Parts: sequence; C-alpha cells; structure tokens
Amino acid sequence: MSNSMNGSEGQLVVDAGRCLVEMRNIRKSFGGVHAVDDVSLNLYPGEVVAVLGHNGAGKSTLMKMLAGAYPIDSGDIVISGEKVNVRKPADAQALGIESIYQTLALADNLDSVANLFLGRELLTAWRTLDDHRMDSEARKVFLRLNKNFTNVRIPVRRLSGGQRQVVAISRAIYFNARILIMDEPTAALGPEETAMVGKLIQQLKQEGVGIFLISHDMHDVFALSDRVAVMKNGKMVGTYNTRDVTEDEVLGMIIGGKRPDGKAQAPRQPGAPS
Amino acid sequence: MNPVIETLKRAQVDWRMVLMSAVLVLVAVVFNILSEGIFLSPENLYNIAQQTAVVGILATVMVLVIVTRNIDLSVGSVMGFVGVLIAYLMYSESWSWPAACAAGLAACVVVYIYQGALVSFLGVPAFVVTLGGLMSFRGAAYIIADGKTQPISDPFFLKLGGGYNGGIGTTASWAIGAFICVALLVSMINARRSKKAYGVPTNSLLVDGILVVIPMVIVMVFVAAMNAYQILNKPEPQGIPIPVLIWGAVAVFMSFLVHRTRFGRYIFAMGGNPDAAALVGIPVRRVTLLLFLLLAVLTTIAAIVAISRLNAGTNSLGNSAELLVIAATVIGGTALSGGSGTIVGSVLGALIMQSIDSGMLLLDVSIGTRYVIIGQVLIAAVVFDVAYRRWTGDTA
Repeated sequence: MSNSMNGSEGQLVVDAGRCLVEMRNIRKSFGGVHAVDDVSLNLYPGEVVAVLGHNGAGKSTLMKMLAGAYPIDSGDIVISGEKVNVRKPADAQALGIESIYQTLALADNLDSVANLFLGRELLTAWRTLDDHRMDSEARKVFLRLNKNFTNVRIPVRRLSGGQRQVVAISRAIYFNARILIMDEPTAALGPEETAMVGKLIQQLKQEGVGIFLISHDMHDVFALSDRVAVMKNGKMVGTYNTRDVTEDEVLGMIIGGKRPDGKAQAPRQPGAPS
Repeated sequence: MNPVIETLKRAQVDWRMVLMSAVLVLVAVVFNILSEGIFLSPENLYNIAQQTAVVGILATVMVLVIVTRNIDLSVGSVMGFVGVLIAYLMYSESWSWPAACAAGLAACVVVYIYQGALVSFLGVPAFVVTLGGLMSFRGAAYIIADGKTQPISDPFFLKLGGGYNGGIGTTASWAIGAFICVALLVSMINARRSKKAYGVPTNSLLVDGILVVIPMVIVMVFVAAMNAYQILNKPEPQGIPIPVLIWGAVAVFMSFLVHRTRFGRYIFAMGGNPDAAALVGIPVRRVTLLLFLLLAVLTTIAAIVAISRLNAGTNSLGNSAELLVIAATVIGGTALSGGSGTIVGSVLGALIMQSIDSGMLLLDVSIGTRYVIIGQVLIAAVVFDVAYRRWTGDTA
C-alpha cells in the first residue's frame, strides 16, 4: 500500500507544517459517559475526511468540539500549526471553521437573509442592522448556489429542503470557511440537490478548503472523501485512504470496530510528500 | 395565480396587522352605534387611550418575553411593588420625584436581575420564577408602606398619568403629529433609496405610498380627536395625553430594537430555534438577561404612569395586570410557542381589549358579563391565530 511507511497504530506521524487541523488526544465526557475518548484526527487543505460511525459513536460530539459548540475536556486543537482555544462558536468562526449541522441550525421564523448572517450581522456606522446590504450580499451567495432561489425574504420554514440547505451552506461560503464541517449534508435532499452539494464540495476542495464530512451514506462517502475515519464507542477505530478500503471493510469497522487486515492507516493526505 | 393577489402577497405588508386594525375599527363602529355616538366621541377616545397606556407599555415588552418562549407572571406585582416604593419615598420620606423614580428603577432592576439570572443562568423555567415573583412582590408591595395608601401630590408627576392636566395641549399635539408624519415619509424615502443602492427589490411606489399615508392619516386623526376634547371650564382642549405619548415613545423604541438591532434579531432567533441560536454563537444567556433588564426599565415606567394615574401608590396596584398584559399580547398575535409577535400587534391587541371593555362599560354591561366576554375574545384571538398560521403555511 502506498502509505505503509506512515506510522503504526497509536502513534500517528503527521506533517505538521502543512496540516490544517490537528485534533490531538481529545476527550469529552457527559456525566460518566466518555463520548469522545482520546481521539486524534487531522485534516489537510483541499481534503475531504469522512467521519463515520454509528449514532452515539462520538463523531458529532468530536465535530461539535471543533466547532466550539462543546468545550473540550482535554486534548489540543491545532489549526495551521498553532494551538488554539475553541471555547465557543464565535472562537471557531474567527478561526475560519464553519459548520453545516444536520439540523441546519436555522431559525425557522426568520428569513434566509437573517439566517445567513445570524450571529454575525452586518452593521451600519450607527451599530444598527444594515438590512439592505445584508439582503444584497445574501442574494449574491444564494444565486451562486441555486439560480432559482429568489424568495429570500420569507421565513425559512416555508422553503424547500434544498433551499434550506442552500441557506445553511451559504454561511460557510460567505464567511470564507477554511475548514468546513458538514453533518449529513445530503440526508434531507433529493438527487438533484445532492448532486449540487457534491459539486460544491469539489469546488471548495479546489479552493483549498478542508472538509470533515459526517455521513451515513456510503455512496457519498466513497464518491466524495479522500480519507475515512471511523469511530466506535467514543474511540477512533482507524483512519484510511478511501481508495485503499472497500465498503465492506468500512462497514466492518463501523459495526464491529474491526480494522481491516493488512491495510495501512493513513494519517496523512494521499500523495503528500514524505 | 390572480395577478392582483400575487402583487398583494409580494408587497411586504403584514396582513395580520391590517386585519387586526379592521377588527379594531369594527369594534369601534359597532360600539359607537350601540352607544348612540358616545364611543367615538373625543372624550371617550381620550379616556380609552390613556386607560390602555399602562397595559400597552407592558405589552410591548411582554411580546419579546413570550417570543423567547418565556413568560413574566410577576409583572403586575413588580409594578405594584415599584409603584408603592416610589409613592412611599415621595410621600412618607419626602423625596423629590426624580430621586424616588431613580430608586424605584434601581429596585426594579435588582428584582429583574434576580429573576432573569435564575431563568438565564440556572435554567429555571420563567413560569415558575415569575409565579413565585407574582406572590412575593405582591407581598413586598404590602410590606413597604405597611399596606397604607401613599398619596401623590407633586403637580408635575401627576401629569404623567394623564387626567385633568395630563394633556400636552393642541399646539404641541399638532407639532408632534406633523413630526411623526415627516419622520415616516423620510424613513420610507431613505429605505427606498438604500434598497435601490444595493439593488434590493422594492415595493411599487404605490404600495409604499399607501404604507406611508395610512399611518399618517391615523396619527393625524388621533391628534385631531385628542385636540377636540375640552374639559368643561378649561381654556384649551387637552391634546395628546402624556401617558399615551410615553406609550407611543416606548412602542417606537421597542420596534426599533426589534427591527434594527442585533438584540432584537437574537430575541427572535432564540424564540424560533434555541438550539440554532446557540450553535451560531448567539450569547443566549446574556441576551435573556438583557431582556429582563429591559423588562425592569419598562415596568418602572409603567409603575410611574400607573401611580400617577391613580394619584397614589396602593398595595393592590397592578393586581392581575399580568393577565391583561399577556391577554393583550396574545390578542395582538404573539404566539405562546415563541418566535413570532410584533410590537404593533401588542398595541392593537391592548387597544382591542380595552375598547371592548370600555364599550361594554358604556353600555352598562355588568362586570361579570364583561369578564366572560373578554375571556372569550382572548380565545377567539388564539383560534384565529391558529387558523391564520395554517392558512399561510406558517405552522410553528
């Protein structure tokens, strides 16, 4: 296998200089339950890492810590070689980390423009909301993603699933995410909209954005990701280049926590110089 | 679809408000016929306007409380407590009115920081916290002056509640009416210019014109009515009552908060989806606490108006006011499930409720019947709200 020289289990050698995100020995427990137990994971620019596991495996918790939604108990988060403190969502946003949650995190009673800028409203010199500037900026982003999306001033609860997804994704695009966390981005979408998300991911990769993709859809995972990282019961089972493993092997890791025989783990970007 | 309906739907007009205004007009016309012209007389309109002010002031902030999925059951008791405190300081301790009001505000801020901290930082349901407050602060209102009524005699202070000397006179009333009209016009022109500059679609000139002219007409008709009311043996008509002016200023300020500031935006986001609000980084607890601070300020203002109207602070001040305030808010289209409600709606809701009550009073309807009817009006408003949301597809 191509990356067989890279590290043995438990000691992942990474190319720190080029690494976009390094999560080192992250732990989190709720009450007595270890939701995330000594997990390390990294991400390179322009790379899609699929984070897989059953419900309750800890993948969403791990990602929420990166996004600042939960503070970490112990461990380090290193962004572009610098150790950072991510204590709240605003910290993550300031570091260029954007999240698209499975629930989309939209306020259903507000319109698309308000949702795009929620928490980061554009203000006038008088510190009041600059509604018309937000409106005009928002329309530009929405149109980039969906040419038919013009009813941006009605409450998002009246929009279709695809349009709601566009609003959630627009946040990442407008605020120039360097690191994007996508939690089940296609779960609620029709085929056409799923294709749109796939195209968008390719485009963001080209721009050097690193993407963590949480998905249950094996087709998406194999079509979109460069690496797969599988978690079970709060622990990392293993990280592999997507092209090195089969769907059955991945399912074996998800269900049984069993690493495939004879496959090398891939802590680094495929094709990165050693 | 019918092009006319399409245009109407696309125009940014709040049809619920239009409908509520129609209900208010209908109520007024019906009572006017039944009372043989007394209901729409300047005197009656003047009285309704100033009677509604206290509930109206509190309803503007109750909208935001309910929008965030909270409730304040303590508002009547706290108003009683603060009112008695201010009256006590002026009467029994001979404080000047500004000093007494400042002390009242300070006490009210402490009360609401206490309640707000329990709600926002400890996560105790607001219903429970303020239910406790409802009882405690009614008791506190009694303790302050040992249950004794505290009369108020300061002539300036008494004007704040309206009444005999509580109008601002005709000239000032016309001036304020004119000022509001100019402000409406200027803000509409600015909005259109700003929308054009950013390439944002605008309403047609006709729709925007109507949207400006209607409020202008309402304001000027209101001013004319207030200026037509002259108390016997007074040299000049009353003009706008001061409590109504205060209510209007409060409503404008609250609308500004809702539409133009982050605070208002966050209040609605938190009510619409609390999880999303936290995930996008809104400081949910801080905003909730700020809302309780705002509640403190407005409750103090309402207390000042209330004791001034009553010429005294009594321990029963604001008894069951919380129910009237919540009723006005709900009649005004605020959903108890959170996330939706408007300041204008609360103004209309308070006016509708007070108009029906006063109208029945004019017709000598007994107090029992009045309560029965007001209660059913509340239910009718909520039924309408549910039906309206289903019809527009806005099921929350």
